[in-house]
Amino acid sequence: MTSDPRLSPPAGVQPAGLFGDSASSNGTILEARNLTKRYRLGSRDVDALRGVSLRVRRGEFVALMGPSGSGKSTLLQLLGGLDRPTSGEVVLDGEVVSHLSDAQATRLRREKTGFVFQFFNLIPLLDVYENVALPFTIAGVDPRHGDAATRIREVIELVDLAGRERNRPDQLSAGEQQRVALARALVGRPAILLADEPTGNLDYATGGEILDELWHSCDQLGQTIVLVTHEARAAAHADRVLVVGDGRIRDEIELGRRSNRDAGPLIARLAQLGL
Amino acid sequence: MRRISSLAWRSLGARKMRSILTSAGIALGVAVLFASLAAGATMDAAVDKAAADEMGHADLRIGALEESGLSRETVAIIDGLAGASIAAPALERKTYLSASLNQTATAKLPPPVTVLGIDPVLEPQLHDMPLVSGQPLRAGDVQSALVTQTLANEEGYALGDSVTLNGTVAAGPQPFKIVGILAGDGSVPDAGGRLVFMPLASAQALFGTTGVTRVDLGAAPGVSVDELTGQLDVSITTQPFLLSRTADLAASLRTEMADFRSALLLVAAVVLFAGAFLIFNTLSMTVAERTRDVGLLRAAGTTRSQVMRLVLLQAFALGVAGSVAGVLAGIGLAALTLSWVGSSGPITLAAPAISGGSVAMALVIGIVLTLAASLEPAWRAGRIPPVEALRRGPQGAAAGAARLRWLVVVFGVLALAALAVWPTGAGGAASGVGSVATGSGSGAWGPLAIYGLLLVAVLLVPRLLGPLLRAGGLPFRIFRNEERLARSSLARDRSRTALTVGALVVGLAMVVALGTAAQDVRKVGATWLTETIPGSELLTSIRPLSTTDPIQGQLAETPGVKSVSPIGLFGVPYVSSTQNGGRSEKSVLRQEAAAVVGHDYLVDGRLDFVSGDRTAALGALDSGGAVIVPKSLADSAGIHVGDTMQFATGPTLTQLNVVGIVAHSIPTGAQEAILIGWPDALASFGVTGADFYAIRYDPGQEATARPALDSAATSYALEPNQLDKVSGTVGDALDRIFRLLDALSLIAVLVAGLGMVNTFSMSVMERVREIGVLRATGMTSRQVWGMVVIEAGVLGLVGAVVGAVVGLVVGALLVAWSSAGFGLVFDPPWISIGLAVLFGFLISVAASIYPAGLASRTSIVRALQHE
Repeated sequence: MTSDPRLSPPAGVQPAGLFGDSASSNGTILEARNLTKRYRLGSRDVDALRGVSLRVRRGEFVALMGPSGSGKSTLLQLLGGLDRPTSGEVVLDGEVVSHLSDAQATRLRREKTGFVFQFFNLIPLLDVYENVALPFTIAGVDPRHGDAATRIREVIELVDLAGRERNRPDQLSAGEQQRVALARALVGRPAILLADEPTGNLDYATGGEILDELWHSCDQLGQTIVLVTHEARAAAHADRVLVVGDGRIRDEIELGRRSNRDAGPLIARLAQLGL
Repeated sequence: MRRISSLAWRSLGARKMRSILTSAGIALGVAVLFASLAAGATMDAAVDKAAADEMGHADLRIGALEESGLSRETVAIIDGLAGASIAAPALERKTYLSASLNQTATAKLPPPVTVLGIDPVLEPQLHDMPLVSGQPLRAGDVQSALVTQTLANEEGYALGDSVTLNGTVAAGPQPFKIVGILAGDGSVPDAGGRLVFMPLASAQALFGTTGVTRVDLGAAPGVSVDELTGQLDVSITTQPFLLSRTADLAASLRTEMADFRSALLLVAAVVLFAGAFLIFNTLSMTVAERTRDVGLLRAAGTTRSQVMRLVLLQAFALGVAGSVAGVLAGIGLAALTLSWVGSSGPITLAAPAISGGSVAMALVIGIVLTLAASLEPAWRAGRIPPVEALRRGPQGAAAGAARLRWLVVVFGVLALAALAVWPTGAGGAASGVGSVATGSGSGAWGPLAIYGLLLVAVLLVPRLLGPLLRAGGLPFRIFRNEERLARSSLARDRSRTALTVGALVVGLAMVVALGTAAQDVRKVGATWLTETIPGSELLTSIRPLSTTDPIQGQLAETPGVKSVSPIGLFGVPYVSSTQNGGRSEKSVLRQEAAAVVGHDYLVDGRLDFVSGDRTAALGALDSGGAVIVPKSLADSAGIHVGDTMQFATGPTLTQLNVVGIVAHSIPTGAQEAILIGWPDALASFGVTGADFYAIRYDPGQEATARPALDSAATSYALEPNQLDKVSGTVGDALDRIFRLLDALSLIAVLVAGLGMVNTFSMSVMERVREIGVLRATGMTSRQVWGMVVIEAGVLGLVGAVVGAVVGLVVGALLVAWSSAGFGLVFDPPWISIGLAVLFGFLISVAASIYPAGLASRTSIVRALQHE
């Protein structure tokens, strides 16, 4: 296991090749403690999460899997500091996210998380380079010079978009747009990458390419990833699958790091569980 | 249909803020239009009243052209006309109350009073003279007088008191017993209500004359005014005279105000144009936002025409609400406008005249304009293909070219509406406020050209938007990230941005153009006086002072005074020859003239000769038989040096040789005076004396000499006025009018601001998911707020600067039309323009505060779920 020579790993993150047994020897980077989330829908309250606790280790690829409305996306939003829990807390890299002010949570997101969404969510008026550079631009770092420029070029190469830097999103295919979104999430070398149904808007083959990109970033760069999906094929890329249902973690399936990412064992295990 | 209309109402209700802002935009436009119409109607009514007050029941007025007035013989001829049943002579003169003059001998002169000598029997038959107390004048009364209620109140007179009036030096002050007090201000509009009526013989004795200034005629039964005019032309051959009737008087007064009314209408059209931008943008946004709804409706079987009706119904509702509110606001605005203007020459403006016609006109224009502005979005909504709409959802940027074509349609609708309500007689005056604001002498075409120029500017904005936004973004480069995103956002929908910025451009352009024109008017006024008056101070008299009066010599002896030059203003009957079908036709026109001392101009060095020898021409004036003509008259009448001008001064024509043409001459109301030497003025034109003296001081002596001279002048009942203060007073009055027009133009900027609130709100809504991504990626809510505000700042800066540039071009055009060839350097009021740019910028930034708040408070989770 060697790291990709084109991009050094994020600060503070060891390459996966050094992890050995990641489950036993690495520390926790993300922890959720008894999270609940209650929404007001018209005149009634809806409990989206009902006391979720979980841990994610450094360099681990975790999938949150469940049907629509199970609460998996809500959980991801709480883990990434996009929303606040009704009760419970999230600890990301030693910081209690749920206790931070809006400005502190924003800083935490900027410095420690990267997001990939189902709908790519690129800024249509910015070209590929500018979209990828967005985290630097927002942080006030000039993305055209120095380390930032080097990193942007590296990550664009990593997602195979070299030469397309001046293209705008509407000049790219759906798969290419999602690769730009992935590059944008990775460029800041986040402590954790959170992906919400990143293949939900892509065809089968393109979706597979994106999942492979995610797996490689985890496997080769030691990138910690939490993936939300309802597809077994996508979840099969993870080291560990947490099955979410009715606002709770219903089951945990340990798959381990596998180079073939075959969905068969996961599907069989899900069938055993009656899911 | 009912269901369709219910959908329309719900759509408006779903975006209450947007609907309210749009209606407010329409309301402001209609308010300015209605105020303009109501002010116009009020002016018309005031003109008719003033004309009727002045002419009473008389069918015709014969006015004297000569200062000595119509002679006894002429009055006798008029009296004997077969076609006249009544001929009421009167002598009108200004003088001072003796008591008030004595009290203020060394202070500022008191306001004069107007004395009207009348025939106590004939005058009341043609003029209503309602009394509040006492009795009317009677035949045979001597030293009796009627005073107006205004004068009685101002001076504390009561029935039976004595009013002592200054007359000629020979006659001295004379007392008159007040036998009656007349209601109100009396029937001479420019007397300011300070009127004293007395028997004609008493007035003639007081002022040492046997003439009268006018004779009012009542036509005999069955005799038309034209017949009467014909009889007068044949009968009076010894004296020049001027005929006028009520309609002429009203038309003349109306012409004086028509340009101001045109300027008001132009501003109203500009505000409505800005309002149309708002309507169009709002409905375009609504259509874009509801693309999917429209797709659903179309998929469910709604026809294209039903979809169009849906949008038009919304527009109609907004138009009705806005127009009704606009008329209500317009009533208040008209009252404010009229009270700000106060009076215009002899016309006093009262409460606004609200007529059903003007209410209907404002409502119809407001609603039709709204519907015109909504036609394109409605058509576009009807053309949305159902499948495409359902697949793609809301469509933000669309149909840019169509939007700009639509501008031309709205421009046409407004131009037609403006022509429909255009005041009659507009553009007729050769000078004055309105003529500067709308292009003198060009009728409706001047304002239309300005209006068209504004349209062209707005049409060019989208083509130049890229560079403009880059330039506008420069000052915000320190916020690199926000500035880049803000600028990109503005470039997202170029036609929408262009329309939004367009409203700001037209509003600010008008403000800047009016400011530039006002500055020019002030300078023209000042330059005109200083270029044509041989001195730095004027001593004005309310009655002609004889050239042999010792006052002139005594003033000239004041230490430090170099020269005292008498100037007399009078009208001359100029015989104009025109070629008609190969035949030469002659007509007699009133031409203003000034009696001057040529030598004084020669020494002083003023008057810019464009033709003729200066020394010879000025010398010829003093020798007699010569005239110097202003270039404006020379150009229009085809007069050259060496020609002879003829004047119908009596049975034989007076002939004067044109010895010089000057670039500018002494301004007298609507004309420039021809310059005639004193010998001719006295001998041939019935001039009895000087109306003012031009004072020239020894170099460096003005400051020390002036107090003594002013004191001496006041003791002779002469009012001292420094030249710069005279032009300053004129400038102040004009500034007041321009400030009003500016304030109304700023309403267009305000309307643009309302449009911006809508545009920025729509922009934020369209970018909700982007904002969510930015927030998720680490952008703080403060940065998001800043991004929207910077977007507004860039837009505001672009709009304000483009508006200022366009305004300067329009202002330069106005100046070129009105500066009368003074060759003044184009000198815009940069400070005012800077303030206008700042105002436009701040309006834009203020308009973004609400949408920026919405953007910064956007929930990231909801934003990411937003479709």
